Amino acid sequence: MLACIPSATLHGVSGRPVAVEVHVSSGLPGFTVVGLPDAAVREARDRVRAAFLSSGLAWPMRRITVNLAPSDERKHGAGLDLPIGIGLLVASGVVPASAVEGTAFVGEVGLDGTLRAVAGIVPLVAALDGCTVVVPEASAPDAALVGGRTVRSAATLAELVERLTSGRGWRPVARRRPAPETGCGVDLADVRGQSVGRRALEVAAAGGHHLLLVGPPGSGKTMLAQRLPGLLPPLESDEALEVTRVHSAAGLSLPGGLPSRPPFRAPHHGATEVALVGGGSAWLRPGEISLAHLGVLFLDELGEFAVRVLDALRQPLEEGKIRLSRARGSVELPARFQLVGAMNPCPCGEGVYPGSCQCDDLRKARYTRRLSGPLLDRFDLAVSLDRPVVEDLLGGPPAESSAVVARRVAAARQRSGPRPWRCNADIPPDALTTAAPLTPDAALLLERRLRSGALSARGLHRVRRVARTIADLDGDEILGERHVAEALQLRSARSTLLPTASR
Amino acid sequence: MSATSFGDDERYGAALAGLGTGHAWLYRLLDGFAPADAWDAVVAGRHPADPDHRLRRQATSERVARIESACVALGVSVSVLGVTAYPEVLAADHQAPPVLFSIGDPTPLVSWPRVAVVGTRSATAYGLGVASELGQRLSEAGVVVVSGLARGIDAAVHAGALRASAATPLLGVPGGPFDGRRPPSLAALAQAVGTRGALVGEQPPGTSPPRWAFAARNRIMAAASHAVVVVEAHRRSGSLHTVAAADARGVRVGAVPGSVRSPASAGTNELLATGTVPAYRDVEDVLAAVEATIAPTPSIRRPVRSVTPKRRRQTKVAGPSPLADHVRRALADEPASLEQIVVRCGRPLAEVALGLEQLLAADLAQESRGWWALPSR
Repeated sequence: MLACIPSATLHGVSGRPVAVEVHVSSGLPGFTVVGLPDAAVREARDRVRAAFLSSGLAWPMRRITVNLAPSDERKHGAGLDLPIGIGLLVASGVVPASAVEGTAFVGEVGLDGTLRAVAGIVPLVAALDGCTVVVPEASAPDAALVGGRTVRSAATLAELVERLTSGRGWRPVARRRPAPETGCGVDLADVRGQSVGRRALEVAAAGGHHLLLVGPPGSGKTMLAQRLPGLLPPLESDEALEVTRVHSAAGLSLPGGLPSRPPFRAPHHGATEVALVGGGSAWLRPGEISLAHLGVLFLDELGEFAVRVLDALRQPLEEGKIRLSRARGSVELPARFQLVGAMNPCPCGEGVYPGSCQCDDLRKARYTRRLSGPLLDRFDLAVSLDRPVVEDLLGGPPAESSAVVARRVAAARQRSGPRPWRCNADIPPDALTTAAPLTPDAALLLERRLRSGALSARGLHRVRRVARTIADLDGDEILGERHVAEALQLRSARSTLLPTASR
Repeated sequence: MSATSFGDDERYGAALAGLGTGHAWLYRLLDGFAPADAWDAVVAGRHPADPDHRLRRQATSERVARIESACVALGVSVSVLGVTAYPEVLAADHQAPPVLFSIGDPTPLVSWPRVAVVGTRSATAYGLGVASELGQRLSEAGVVVVSGLARGIDAAVHAGALRASAATPLLGVPGGPFDGRRPPSLAALAQAVGTRGALVGEQPPGTSPPRWAFAARNRIMAAASHAVVVVEAHRRSGSLHTVAAADARGVRVGAVPGSVRSPASAGTNELLATGTVPAYRDVEDVLAAVEATIAPTPSIRRPVRSVTPKRRRQTKVAGPSPLADHVRRALADEPASLEQIVVRCGRPLAEVALGLEQLLAADLAQESRGWWALPSR
């Protein structure tokens, strides 16, 4: 009369185990779900009932109570349809309890009895430790990515019942082939000219620095940004699973199985705050910054984003995660991403060459004010791009390919590896003296810049971090004059955006 | 003309100018009316120049008081054309502001030769250098430098004139009111110009200027000058309004030639290419134009030595290192971006950056908003 089926529900980007208890007793026929179900879970009753009838199973005309334990946590999504249905079959004696011993179920059922894929299958299965997990056939390849669990699948409810009652063997689960190594499909060799932009991209990849590209329309900002994931080191297997968990929780399909390349997300500048940082009313869905976790978040037309949206990025940029708190509860989502911003130098887009801008002061000030201040301060690298020269476009020497640059990046990352920070961009200011020592010449150069007021104390830290990365790329331990000089030039676009002398 | 005593003429003249009508309408408002009577007629809705009562709603006593107190606070005096004492410099012009606001005394300027130097706000280092030099040399030659107190060329001209050894007066014609808000960064410069000479304008303090005010002041600059010099103007620059206004008044106009590649010189080069205006290469050319307009006056002091630029022999100036020399050869008078310099040098960014850094330290290169050029003289 009582059955208890293990399952799981999604909380942010991680799964939480849920025990689905089904009690069937005499009394007036009825169906009650308790244990803080959301609308989708409450509707499970109608879906499961129709699926039973379509599959030729008898619907017990008894009093049915379903409890979702722990009962003080909100459950959502249609993934609990299947455990409710199976619990009902066990409680009414159609399926023997021994057949479902130690087996968890996750899946949505259709009115015709088919089993449908659910969002977040990877974190859900990951939460069900030490069980055999039965999932809809469409979700099986993703579920198999988790590893360490036996995954079984069925296409329909009728098929599942037959396998459970007859003891017939299960179909083998199809495995996704790992993603091909080329991954992102774009190569740095396609970018013509832009020696400064390419160098900035290389330094950004080697040191994990946030990068700001400033240039007129058609100067190749987007092209460069898209090529950053191809330069970054491939994801480690635990990182890949972390990325997969987030993407699965957001309901994105995982075409290539476990990814080897860092993700690249490029939300449109119309994106709302919720779309970017996550949230939402039904359940706390991961936003773009979480989808870009361990990868690259590219914000094109940075000056067109709403000020509120950009300000919401500041805390995750600082902490590498975002904590969403709502009246119903709060979750912490991972958001350790590398930010690449692109923008025009001014609203008309032509303000690169001195004297060619047609914007009036007010419009220009309004445009740049959006990101001056704290957000602009997060960018270690800021370079101006020119429109490419015609000769470069129509030929010119072929540029270096992503593979060549990625090798240099990997070597630099290896040199920065022994340091206690994840990447050079994370070196705290007080550790710079030991982690980024300067030659006397380099110190003199920085002192000159500081004295002329062209560099602020905060700017000094950023320059030293970037110079550290450049020295890593060169294979040098101590930062020389040339490293510092190059680091200064790689943030020179800041001065084109700031109306005043604050650098 | 004292800033502290306001009669009815000044008070209501200023208030009428604050209605944002523009000078043509303002003429009609004051035509046959004393300022106070014109104001009363507007308030009562029986002014023939305001048959639709479009000005009536704004014509409040609160506005009168606000403009007057702003004038008093900033030391601004008010002149009403044909009613009170009016500076002779502008009185003869057919589009003189009916109500003129001024700081300092513009009256004595009438006996000085006056030259307006104008140009784009987004100027190159070249333009700023030329403007600053022109301002200084003109001032030293005893010519009143007239400009619009905008960013870029206008600011550079007056800043240069303030550096001059001679204390020749200056005339500033800001587009907005004198409260130092447009633009705020030039408030100190405007004050210095006002102290050395005068500021005049047609926008009353205590009001926000209409958009057209900035273009309309160009005619005031043209009207107050014996010659106009355009240093840099892009293709649709506001400075070209000044050229048109000067043309209409028979005032001589000249343009400073610029690089054919520089958008900041596109407007001036076009004026030169079409033969609309002559080229002014240096202060001598400008002084010649002024002298052709007015009989040589003793107040023009010709510079002792010629200011024609000597040929600079760049090869003679050695950079601090062979690397810096190499980078220096990639620089020119016209600004270049970092990318262009890297391409011209054909060396990695690190070396170019170091070379630029050394040139910067030795004052052999200058950088402005990401653009590099040889230092202006």
